[in-house]
Amino acid sequence: MPSATLLGQSVLSGIFAGGLYALLGLGLSLSWRFLRVINLAHFGFIFLAAYMIYQLAGVWGLSPFAAMLLVVPCLFLLGVALQALFLRFSINEFGSLLVTFGILTITEAAIQWIWTADFRRLETPYGTASYRVGELFVPVAEALTFAVAVTLSISVWALLRFTYIGKAIRASADDPDMAAAFGVRGHGLALLLSGAVAATAGIAGTFIALIATLAPAQIFSWIGVIFAVVILGGLGNPFGILAAGLLIGVSEAVTMALTAPSWAPLVSFSLLILILVLRPGRI
Amino acid sequence: MLSVAGLEVAYGDAPALWDASLEIGEGELVSVVGPNGAGKTTLVNAIARLLPVRRGKLLLDGADAAPLTPREMCERGVAIIPEGRRLFVSMTVEENIDMGCYRSQARRFRAQGLERVYAMFPRLNQRRRQQAGTLSGGEQQMLAIARALMARPRLLLIDEPSLGLAPAIVQQVFETIRGIHAEGVSILLIEQNAAQALAIAERAYVLEGGRTIASGKPKELLAEPHIRDAYLGGNKEK
Ligand SMILES: Nc1ncnc2c1ncn2[C@@H]1O[C@H](COP(=O)(O)OP(=O)(O)OP(=O)(O)O)[C@@H](O)[C@H]1O
Ligand SMILES: [Mg+2]
Repeated sequence: MPSATLLGQSVLSGIFAGGLYALLGLGLSLSWRFLRVINLAHFGFIFLAAYMIYQLAGVWGLSPFAAMLLVVPCLFLLGVALQALFLRFSINEFGSLLVTFGILTITEAAIQWIWTADFRRLETPYGTASYRVGELFVPVAEALTFAVAVTLSISVWALLRFTYIGKAIRASADDPDMAAAFGVRGHGLALLLSGAVAATAGIAGTFIALIATLAPAQIFSWIGVIFAVVILGGLGNPFGILAAGLLIGVSEAVTMALTAPSWAPLVSFSLLILILVLRPGRI
Repeated sequence: MLSVAGLEVAYGDAPALWDASLEIGEGELVSVVGPNGAGKTTLVNAIARLLPVRRGKLLLDGADAAPLTPREMCERGVAIIPEGRRLFVSMTVEENIDMGCYRSQARRFRAQGLERVYAMFPRLNQRRRQQAGTLSGGEQQMLAIARALMARPRLLLIDEPSLGLAPAIVQQVFETIRGIHAEGVSILLIEQNAAQALAIAERAYVLEGGRTIASGKPKELLAEPHIRDAYLGGNKEK
């Protein structure tokens, strides 16, 4: 049995991992629920953003946050372009899975071509700093990521809940024709939302670059657990994503502490299957 | 206000409407009756610009409305209470009402509109935070009416408002429609329930097999044996 401190440290790192999961899954969840696009390209966009941050901050010497201010608008435009493609060719939900898988593969190839398959590490003061709180170590970059994940989830929730644009997005998902009949510009809204989704990939990528060592092959390693988080959280539900991220993150971390690291990947899918069995109809 | 002539609308290659014509004057309450599958819903949805017009004339205030989008139609003062209500089911009652005044010209009058529809339907006020999909059929119909009224329409398209409702509620719905009309709103009322529709309409059309086959004052239509037998005979069950 590990000590209380070790367990505490595990739970803390699980919470931080959960925040990162939520940050990565948020855009996927929004695009699935409100655009009916199962956007595998999101993972490619996240890593594209991470590499762009690496280039701007690690190679060209900008501050990571200045780099983020450049990268996020670029990603927004990429998201708009992606949705324009979907609207132009009226691609359905299943088609979107295939098309975005293609885009993901192309993105990965492009990243590999530009930055090679070698590991890349953005060295920043944030990357390694940590505070000591009581018996626990709190890494600064992870804590910041968590704060951003929570802030972003709350903001997205509030936008969807309280603004007319948010209501229009939800109404369009329920009945696009009726939304249009009451004045909603469906296509414009879809372009905007897709841009916003890709912008969250820009933000997520920034924090991946701060926390992790980058390699193109890693793109695919996130897909399983993030899908589990997205489905568990309920599509289009920012708080659900956050809760699901934390649940899976903490369960994984505690499992790792109690058993062996190799058991961790089993956790997310066991939880997913369990919840799909107990509460079917989540998608 | 609205003029439809020789309208043809198809789903894919199958025409659902091929010669529909009707006129609605300013402030008039006009009804369209006809059997199942006659193309009544198709007609309403085409007027709301939710379906493409293949051929024929669709004029709103004398201007060609066929190239307009649903949004533009809404901006010109046309609102729809669709068949089956088609609420935004995952949203609350009040959010549905908010969507009614989505366009900016209507949004300015939100407070006024809310007061009006809640006075009209106190039940909706009690249930303002409830999900629209969980309302009873009658409440859903009230919400569909409230949503459309929030758009401050000049012309209201109402498709089978009595569908699936208990007789007492049906009475209330028709009273409400009468009240809206009394305020000067032009109304196109589609109904299976021909007796009810003809009782409140100023003029009516009969649509059959995608074609307008008769029109006139309700009294005149009821005088025609063919129409009386078809729509007011003993068996009108769906
Ligand atoms: N989405 C659709 N796709 C293909 N055909 C359709 C569609 N909707 C309606 N139709 C067909 O068009 C014709 C007219 O349908 P419509 O719904 O307009 O009739 P209606 O008069 O409203 O009938 P009801 O009284 O049952 O509501 C029918 O033959 C119907 O099968
Ligand atoms: Mg119908």
